[in-house]
Amino acid sequence: MKRTVDVNIPLGPVHPCFKEPVRLKCETRGERVIGVEVELGYMKKGIERIMKGRPWQEVMFLAERVCGICSVIHNMVFIEAIERISGIDVPKRAAFLRVIANELDRMQSHLLANFSYCYTIEHETLAMYLLDVRELVMDELERLTGARVTCAYIIPGGVRCDIRAEDQATLRISLDRIESDLHRYAKMFETGPMIALRSKGIGILTQESARRSHAVGPTARGSGINVDMRTLHPTYQQLGFVPVVRKDCDNHARIMVRFDELFASIRIIRQCLDTLQKGIIRGGGICKAGEIRYSGEAPRGELTYTIKTDEFGRITDIQIQTPSIMNIEACCHEMIVGVDSIADVTSTFVSADPCIACTER
Amino acid sequence: MAVSLFWYMVEFARFEWIKKFLFAKTAPLITPAHFRGFPEPTGKACQHALFCMMVCPAPGAIEVLHEGDGWKPKIHKGHCIRCGLCVEACPNGVLRSGRVLETMWDQGTSLLFSFRIAIDPDLCMGCGNCCTACPVNKLADAQMGAGGHSATDEVIMRVQGGDILVLHEEKCTGCKTCEQSCPNDAIRIARILEGIQQPIQKPSPEAGP
Amino acid sequence: MSILQNVKDLVRSRSIHVSYVDVGSCNGCDIEVLACLAPRYDIEQYGIYVHNNPREADVLLVVGAFTPGWEEKLKGLWNKIPEPKAAIAIGNCPISGCVFDRRGSYVDPPVAKHIPIAAEVPGCPPRPTEILQAILSIRDSVFAEWEVKRK
Repeated sequence: MKRTVDVNIPLGPVHPCFKEPVRLKCETRGERVIGVEVELGYMKKGIERIMKGRPWQEVMFLAERVCGICSVIHNMVFIEAIERISGIDVPKRAAFLRVIANELDRMQSHLLANFSYCYTIEHETLAMYLLDVRELVMDELERLTGARVTCAYIIPGGVRCDIRAEDQATLRISLDRIESDLHRYAKMFETGPMIALRSKGIGILTQESARRSHAVGPTARGSGINVDMRTLHPTYQQLGFVPVVRKDCDNHARIMVRFDELFASIRIIRQCLDTLQKGIIRGGGICKAGEIRYSGEAPRGELTYTIKTDEFGRITDIQIQTPSIMNIEACCHEMIVGVDSIADVTSTFVSADPCIACTER
Repeated sequence: MAVSLFWYMVEFARFEWIKKFLFAKTAPLITPAHFRGFPEPTGKACQHALFCMMVCPAPGAIEVLHEGDGWKPKIHKGHCIRCGLCVEACPNGVLRSGRVLETMWDQGTSLLFSFRIAIDPDLCMGCGNCCTACPVNKLADAQMGAGGHSATDEVIMRVQGGDILVLHEEKCTGCKTCEQSCPNDAIRIARILEGIQQPIQKPSPEAGP
Repeated sequence: MSILQNVKDLVRSRSIHVSYVDVGSCNGCDIEVLACLAPRYDIEQYGIYVHNNPREADVLLVVGAFTPGWEEKLKGLWNKIPEPKAAIAIGNCPISGCVFDRRGSYVDPPVAKHIPIAAEVPGCPPRPTEILQAILSIRDSVFAEWEVKRK
């Protein structure tokens, strides 16, 4: 069938709204976008190829650098997969510390995603507010692990370092401050009339199309699909974790899901601090041979590592399935198609929180 | 329109916001003490255990160089990823980075290294390059010939009857020199790392060599 | 040196437009550049304005270990930036390739092979304060007396 296309507008790879290089070719008829083609391939580094034949202490750092924004969850999923292969038990205290680090990382990732969205719809005030809150979260992450972004906190059989008593106190104080600030910002976003004009009813991803395009993470949860890998994680099950779901299916819903998850993360960290028991944080244990497929919930959705190790614990085969590729597909084939103007393309794309670095690795 | 204008007026007419707007002051550009920076020497003498080089995940980030009468670890900026593993792996506390060393002493955590030699018998052709290249072999038997034959049993490995024989796996320091000299990629060194904690023993930071 | 030149130097060092390009990083350095925008560090108080348009930029922040996808594009991007211009390598990746510089990877570091680099900020990733200090340290020197140097 012949398609009538007025103008073919390319966006990217260097574009003021995209942090990362990706090219979107938008087919437009008038102002309406009728089709989008995504062009990847600017970030391919071949991380999985480098990982082969290396022990965990080297692969751990490569796994962290699959995605710099959600580095803790890559570290956590890789190490927990190795632990399940080798039958290493994790001390109780270390398991809760992992959850604290992971939730802090999720908070900063969600704040960054919401910042990007607000920046893209040119609501710079709210964007800067969120970025300021993010710095508080980064401070806590730094105090806990010793680094801001690539923390290298989780190792087989435990974590690198314990949380100090004075850091626990500052963490609680910071959480109170972050929560009170975020309540205001979430209300600003939820009730702001200008924001509603730019985000409500735009970038619709219905429940059926979300299922068809295999959307994961907040993108799927914004469309009313109750899917969260954290419900399968033993430590989260102990904490009684319940996923956040919204049913509005538009950009607004996806951003609000992230706001709601921020509050959920704060609750989880408080629960962890309350139930933290005294004890050791490193149990030891040597990696063994085996094969496993293990998933965890990254800030962007389900993250799966398929790992095969040899008898000395070196990786012989590894496949990483990152959440962003599904979300980018959902975004390009379902969400952007039919938006009313080219100005909404970037904001719709950013609302799915695409991470090109972990898509291409 | 009027609603939204009013809404934004309410947001910006708060006393806090006006105070912040008029008396904003950015924090000074300092690095907090708990940040894990580039490893620095603590002043203790390096014992040439080379665990820092064995554990380092970044290529070309750390080297132990001969300087004066002793050894000295050198960090290459631009390669070092500031992970702090060298600080944890060093048995003598030569390096420090942020709070890593203090936390190690406080909590009794350490990293345990062991090295294993794996030789693929199908690929190995018994040339003996690995035996002659090995720096530990060189110390044990300075007379080792080009074929990798040796008279002493003190060497890590030697060629015996056309096949390679590993005698003392525990002497291996994990330097992977043999791996680089092997023409067939038959020999592989596994660096096995284990994170352990002994909370009962608490040596003071001043203790040690 | 004329007064006009002095005025030009002063203005150039107090108003720097920054563009950043990601040539295959892990996003870690990206978000640290972004964190410079935060009110905590407030990069705009020094007269540095971050926007991602190479055609009006003075300083290009290069992030990443140079993947094959950028082979011709980075040079084209560099040529689009008006003179005087400078490039800063942020993080280990453009300097040495960081952990990706292993046998079997697709990256081709350092970036200095492809475009001239004026300053380097080591670290994986560098802190926002280090990035800020790098931009501040070169702003007085690289653009000074550019009209004189060009002759």
